[in-house]
Amino acid sequence: MDQARPAGSSPVGYKRRAPRSAVRIFTCALALGAGLSFALSAPSAYAQKRGGAKPKPPATGAAAGGEIELDAPAAGQPPAAGAGGTVELDQPAAATPATPPPAPAGEGGGICEIDPSACPKQADIKAAQNKTINAEIYAVQQIYALRARRFEVNPYWAFGLNDQFVSHPGPGLAANYYISNVLAVGVNGTLYAGLNGDSDFNFENRRATRVAVPLNEYQWAAALNFTYVPMYGKFAGFSDFIFHYDAYIVGGVGAISTRPIPVIDPDNRNFSFEPKVAFNAGLGLRIFLNRWFAATLEVRDYIYNEKLENTNPLIGQTQQQLQDKNNWFGENRLTNNVQAQVGLSIFLPFSWEYRLPK
Amino acid sequence: MRRFVTFLVSAALTTGALLAPVVATESEASAQEIQLTGPLAGAPAARKLRLYREGRFELAPTASFTLLDEYRRTILFGGRLQYHIKDWLGVGLWGAYGVISSTTDLTDQIGTVALRNSRTAANLAPNGAFGDQTAKMTYVAAPQITFVPFRGKLAIFQKIFVDTDAYLHGGVAFVGLQERGDCGAAGQPLCTDPKSFELASRTAIAPTFGLGLNFYVGELLSIGLEYRALPFSWNRAGFDSRGSGNNGKFPNVPPKIDDQDQTFKFNQMITIALGISLPTHAKVSD
Repeated sequence: MDQARPAGSSPVGYKRRAPRSAVRIFTCALALGAGLSFALSAPSAYAQKRGGAKPKPPATGAAAGGEIELDAPAAGQPPAAGAGGTVELDQPAAATPATPPPAPAGEGGGICEIDPSACPKQADIKAAQNKTINAEIYAVQQIYALRARRFEVNPYWAFGLNDQFVSHPGPGLAANYYISNVLAVGVNGTLYAGLNGDSDFNFENRRATRVAVPLNEYQWAAALNFTYVPMYGKFAGFSDFIFHYDAYIVGGVGAISTRPIPVIDPDNRNFSFEPKVAFNAGLGLRIFLNRWFAATLEVRDYIYNEKLENTNPLIGQTQQQLQDKNNWFGENRLTNNVQAQVGLSIFLPFSWEYRLPK
Repeated sequence: MRRFVTFLVSAALTTGALLAPVVATESEASAQEIQLTGPLAGAPAARKLRLYREGRFELAPTASFTLLDEYRRTILFGGRLQYHIKDWLGVGLWGAYGVISSTTDLTDQIGTVALRNSRTAANLAPNGAFGDQTAKMTYVAAPQITFVPFRGKLAIFQKIFVDTDAYLHGGVAFVGLQERGDCGAAGQPLCTDPKSFELASRTAIAPTFGLGLNFYVGELLSIGLEYRALPFSWNRAGFDSRGSGNNGKFPNVPPKIDDQDQTFKFNQMITIALGISLPTHAKVSD
């Protein structure tokens, strides 16, 4: 652009005279605006939100360094008022001194100036160095999916793992609230009614041995649970993508409604469902598909005291005895209903703010 | 002319200034898709991976526990020898021998409660314990392929960190069985004959597949947990339960035990393993 400069003028002088002022300023302002828009928008591209970074205060004077000026005035000269030909990015107000006045000798400024007795001494600093600080730094900060203070809704499908005789599949729903990132309290319920399946094995075994195995079917189960999440990690899949998972233990107490399937005397016996107290304990694996959606696999043992059908021979009993409900039940037996629960987890709210820096 | 050029530049910059936040905001919606243009552009998801498997042999003593057994449980001890051609692909052999075999409560109940009479004569030995006629899994040998699609790490209590991989395996299993021998046909003993309750050896060929986890406690050692399925048909109780009637689902008259009495079972087991990888040091990826 030198060819456009008036003959005999120096570059500085040319700038200070600043012709075409209004259009040029507008052009430069837009250029800066575009640049700043990108600069300010840039953080949105990060996967993790930046935590705690405060904007840097504007540097003052030449001491700030790194100052960018499009049209800097000559050294030692203030910008010409009203010239309108100078645009600076980090130019302090004209009335602001380039550097703050130095503090009087012997004063530290701040608290030392207000209250000299409270001014920290060298010994205080040494003591502060030795003080134990509860630094909240964890092995892994900004875990991919935080659970603390979030609700988890977990629909699942349950199927028995130790039900060779009668299968007990059924849909279920769990809801948990995470008090902390590793501890949750919640409830779950499973509906088995209408889905119990008496296997061929029972019939074939009875036919071959003439021995009847008492069978039971389930109606529903519900429990209040505590969940503890001691393990989490991440996997690289096919060296191409990364997914996060955690493993948890769960336990609680609730009820399960069951009844015997009449095997010994189906003509006379008709059992009703009765709820029994059931304790449960289990392990689970949760694979996060994103920060609020996960697939779950859980194995849980529901332990309860089952009432079995009376297997004593019916020979010699009168019709009245056969129909007496007090004769229908036999022994009680501690029973383990081990079931797998495959489902999906939805965490609410969907997003959160990290407290710890990455 | 100069004013026109300045106007064009101004208009372009204005457009840029207005569109910049819009463009930048659109990229915000996909947090994972960082538009990398620096040195990480095109880089793999994970770098400097310890390649625990690639080019290494794994020798792992194993203990396997059968699940959901109706009449008899088996604990098999054995080993797995594998060579990993790639970090994600290995070939090998798993073999185990059934060392401990115990009866279930149902077996014990049948043995003590069931009546021995003409109706049960073909299915229950007249004097022997019922457990003696139930089938046993004596050994398993399975050449197999291992596919390791997932590898990563696991934090336990924020204290212990272990490299972990998840794998799938599949192959063909040769399963040694001892089950009640055939009876009732020509040249065979009657099924009510006490001698017919003796067990005979047979080898079943079945598909085997499953999945597992390996936890690497070091470059040399790993701890494995594996699920394995071995679906095949066998006569686990030694009953004559199939062969006649509708769809062949009723006992033969007179009693006859043959391969039709072998019923399908989705046999399952859990295996724990202690893996030793050789050479002792693992390579590290780029």
